[in-house]
Amino acid sequence: MNPMIWKELQQRMRERRAWLLPTIYLLVLGAIVTFVYYTTVVEESRYSQHELRGAEIGVAIFFGTVYTQLGLLLLIAPALSAGSITIEKEQRTLSGLLTSLLTLLEIWWGKFVASLLLMVLLLVVSLPVLSLGLAMGGFGVREMTMAAITTLIIVASMNAVGLYCSSLFQRSIYATTISYAITIALVVITAVAAAMWQASHRGLGQDEFAHFKVWLYPNPFFFLTLAFAPQSKLFPDWYISAGIFVLIGVSVGVLTLLQLRRAGEKV
Amino acid sequence: MIEVRSVKKKYGRVQALNDFSLQVPRGALFGLVGPNGAGKSTLLKILATLIRPDAGAALIDGKDVRRNSRSVRTIVGYQPDIPGLYQQMSVEQYLEFFAGAFHLRGEQKKDAVRRALEHSGFEDRRHDEVEALSFGMKQRLLLAKTLIHNPRVLLLDEPATGLDPLARIQLRDQLRALQQGGVTILISSHILSDLEDICTDVVFIGAGKNISLPNGARREANAESSSLLCEMEILGDAASASRAAETFAGAKVMRSSGKALQVEISGGEEQAAALLHHLVTAGIAVTRFTSRGPGLEEVYKDIFGGPRP
Repeated sequence: MNPMIWKELQQRMRERRAWLLPTIYLLVLGAIVTFVYYTTVVEESRYSQHELRGAEIGVAIFFGTVYTQLGLLLLIAPALSAGSITIEKEQRTLSGLLTSLLTLLEIWWGKFVASLLLMVLLLVVSLPVLSLGLAMGGFGVREMTMAAITTLIIVASMNAVGLYCSSLFQRSIYATTISYAITIALVVITAVAAAMWQASHRGLGQDEFAHFKVWLYPNPFFFLTLAFAPQSKLFPDWYISAGIFVLIGVSVGVLTLLQLRRAGEKV
Repeated sequence: MIEVRSVKKKYGRVQALNDFSLQVPRGALFGLVGPNGAGKSTLLKILATLIRPDAGAALIDGKDVRRNSRSVRTIVGYQPDIPGLYQQMSVEQYLEFFAGAFHLRGEQKKDAVRRALEHSGFEDRRHDEVEALSFGMKQRLLLAKTLIHNPRVLLLDEPATGLDPLARIQLRDQLRALQQGGVTILISSHILSDLEDICTDVVFIGAGKNISLPNGARREANAESSSLLCEMEILGDAASASRAAETFAGAKVMRSSGKALQVEISGGEEQAAALLHHLVTAGIAVTRFTSRGPGLEEVYKDIFGGPRP
């Protein structure tokens, strides 16, 4: 096993946030599920003509959980990854790594995997919440798997962005701030750009939606939405979005390695 | 073992190393001396493969640090000037991590950690968190980590800074033992007395250049300039001894306080004996008399123009 992964996990698991993070995460998810359940049951029974079915509650819980989960993970990813390399600079431990026999790729991979594993842990602890919805029906294992894969791709990509910011700056605070700015840009700016484009290009019919989507491919929430298309309609949209996120992750990964190569000058 | 040929390194407008050359033979303990900003840390970083020189070549055991950085790292142990530690790890975990980082596995790794714990005196404190250790202990742990892969070359940047006298003595003993074991050591320090005590040779670096003479040449130069520093203790007041010393040809009183007197004379040991005779003849009761050539401090002052304001 790469000693970096072991070291990172050992250090992270000793921190208070190792148990605090899953606790808060589950509390928020639990609150959202309760809220979704309450609004679905109460509101639907008040206004709907037909009797509410379990599957409808199940679907509401499922979507409520996966979108909240993505939102939470997008908030957590920069906090976990953007301090990863800067902390080595702040603690003056980076020179020890760079003069060891660890390759730059091993150092990067160790930090990437350790941050990602913590986010996978959060995904795993949310399974009981999701299975609550699964028991009610309306969605199946396929939807759950697609949601998990899509969320993982997004989170891995944002994790790599956080690490890149961490390699760029000397202080964690700057790296985290820029990392959040990039996350916000992907979520908000893409949505605003799509909305503005749509407003200025009304009346193009089928073409309008095709162009509109281009702006939203790098949007994490749009990518997640694409994951729920029927199997036959996943191509090309879901694949384009997945490709964009993978490309972002790989590009910033390469840039991080280049930054690490020059890091000896600053330690 | 260590060969540096006309190395240049620039940070922006600052020329950190300017045609710096150096040769350190196998098994030597070389001191690297110079004022702050002279280029000492830059040189050590280049040799440790942390940074690349702009020009020139640096070789360790015949391997170019730029082209064969990985194989250089297998034989080099580097301790930076402001070293950091993973505070939340235990002593044993810290050493295990670096043993793993130097690709030691299984029994080899266990042996390396056990040896490091033994040599650094941490056997009973292996489970202590690094954060809980004293400064001196942390420095000891750092050296243990630097030695975890049995390097044949040690590059130490200010390892004695902040250490208490006992820890400094222990460090000196450890370095001597390593040198006797065949390890080549290049050590940068501002504590000249320590370097004088342990080093086989000292290199002076100023404005990125090697401005020193090798030990042999320095001794010859000293012999040529034939100046000796005579330190003595007088029974009674040193003032009268000071007056008597000043009448001795070629003598210059450097310091006179209480019973102690320091006189610089031109000439060798014979002149020192003549000074002692001169003082005793003048009725001065000398209780202690020693003479020595200029030490590292005097040479440093000569080269770098005396103490800074």
